[in-house]
Amino acid sequence: MRLQAWAKETAVVSFAYLATFYMTFELLIPLQDRYFPEFSSHASLLFLPHGVRVLAAWLLGWRSVVALGPGVFLAFFSVAGLGVFTPSRLIAILIAVIVPAATFHAFKLVKWNLSPRSGQMPCWPCIMAAGIAISILSSLLTNFVLGSGPQDYLAYLVGDIIGLFVLMIMLMFFFRVLRRYEA
Amino acid sequence: MSEISKLAELRKLMLEMERSMGLQDLSAVERDIYYAATELSEARSGVQTTNLLDHTLVVNVSRPTFFRALKSLVCKGYLFQNQASGRGQYIVKPLD
Repeated sequence: MRLQAWAKETAVVSFAYLATFYMTFELLIPLQDRYFPEFSSHASLLFLPHGVRVLAAWLLGWRSVVALGPGVFLAFFSVAGLGVFTPSRLIAILIAVIVPAATFHAFKLVKWNLSPRSGQMPCWPCIMAAGIAISILSSLLTNFVLGSGPQDYLAYLVGDIIGLFVLMIMLMFFFRVLRRYEA
Repeated sequence: MSEISKLAELRKLMLEMERSMGLQDLSAVERDIYYAATELSEARSGVQTTNLLDHTLVVNVSRPTFFRALKSLVCKGYLFQNQASGRGQYIVKPLD
């Protein structure tokens, strides 16, 4: 039963990661290339999957590492093909799935517990702040591993932060519509 | 945490965001009850349902509408039921 629940949350989170990943690469990056042709970096300035990583880690804690795993791996595979098995890319995958949960855990250790608790309203600016910290750490580590330039580092950072905010706005309006439909 | 409560936590997070952005959609009755509760809670820590029903802003609201709106305000996180005092007492969550 527990295994079934884990499999379900892994399927949901990985699907959400892949869906936002394809939305970013098939829709948003072509638009970015069209309207900002002078921007030379291949990084997206609106990277929605970062939002999935942050919200999954906030909700699931360390379980998000497993839940995000298949989605992040398939996203890397769709870009790099068999090159996904190179050590640098495997490390980048690990960074992508471990850093969000590790960051929330580190905050908990310094008495800033953002984990969802019953009877307490969650603090969305705090989740945004955690998302920025996760982005800074992930960008630093990923760019170090992949050997990217400083422009890419900045683009990853901007893309992650805007991506998280836009994904939260999208979810907010989705739940608003759902609420009206349910009423 | 169960599947449903994870979804509930995500919805709560989005409700907080809506409220911060001033997009929270309260009906006129919900707004009146919230304002009445805010006024009453300034005098004491919690607010009793009976005191709310007697408030000038709420006195003309029918009981079924009142309780429906009160329940809605609790669901939206504007009011919390006071666990220590039991049923019928609410605590106002201030707007950011």
